[in-house]
Amino acid sequence: MAWKRAFPVDLADEGRFSRREFARFLALVSAGFTAGLGYLWLRKKPLAGAPEPVGQKEAPVALGLAAELRPGQSRLFTFRDAQDRCILLRTPMGELRAYRQTCTHLGCAVRFRNDQLECPCHEGFFEVERGFPVQGPPTRPLSGIALELRPDGTLWAVGDLPKPTALPTRAGAACPRDTRMEVEA
Amino acid sequence: MSRPVQSRRGQLADAALVVALLILGIQVYLFETVLQSVLDGQRALLPGAFAASLVLTAVALFLAFKVPRIDAGPKH
Repeated sequence: MAWKRAFPVDLADEGRFSRREFARFLALVSAGFTAGLGYLWLRKKPLAGAPEPVGQKEAPVALGLAAELRPGQSRLFTFRDAQDRCILLRTPMGELRAYRQTCTHLGCAVRFRNDQLECPCHEGFFEVERGFPVQGPPTRPLSGIALELRPDGTLWAVGDLPKPTALPTRAGAACPRDTRMEVEA
Repeated sequence: MSRPVQSRRGQLADAALVVALLILGIQVYLFETVLQSVLDGQRALLPGAFAASLVLTAVALFLAFKVPRIDAGPKH
């Protein structure tokens, strides 16, 4: 096998590796990336962590009475299955929001603290209005859950929200670390 | 000390290798970008990305298998 000759286990086994063989290796890796893109294209089921296509019907999940949740409070629930953990919260402005708990960095569970969603593993912070990352390693927004308030006052999770693409308008959000210091002081 | 003289064929081989490496770099960037978009739920750019990747792979395969005397490097 050419690749075994190109990348031997023992240094002493290294032999001459021609440009032609190296170019073939590069072409093979390039073909691998193409195959990967083709697989992503043909794959019908969303990747783990990716939202379902917009418009797909989900079984609604009852989240209790909306009035029970006060500003600054949160509640955990599961949506599609027992592994699909989500967090429902009421923002300081009084609006209800729900997001998947899975941090978009490395998949830790985010929690609602100091009016922000915080990933405790690597100190990633997300703003609560649209789930955008505002500090730390995460670069992609949290996956949002669509909510429905029914006439009887009950709140239901009804599907996935499309991922927001525009940058948050509230760019001047306070640094979470500063906020924490203020609380501790 | 005299430097080894690089033939025109050798220069061509260098260019071919540089292009092959460049193609691989583009492929890595393309795949990473598309994967991030797919994880964000945006699948619309998959057909275009696949087509672009296919063209790049075709060029890389052409360079690897069809370009004559790609092995002709500088003579030492």
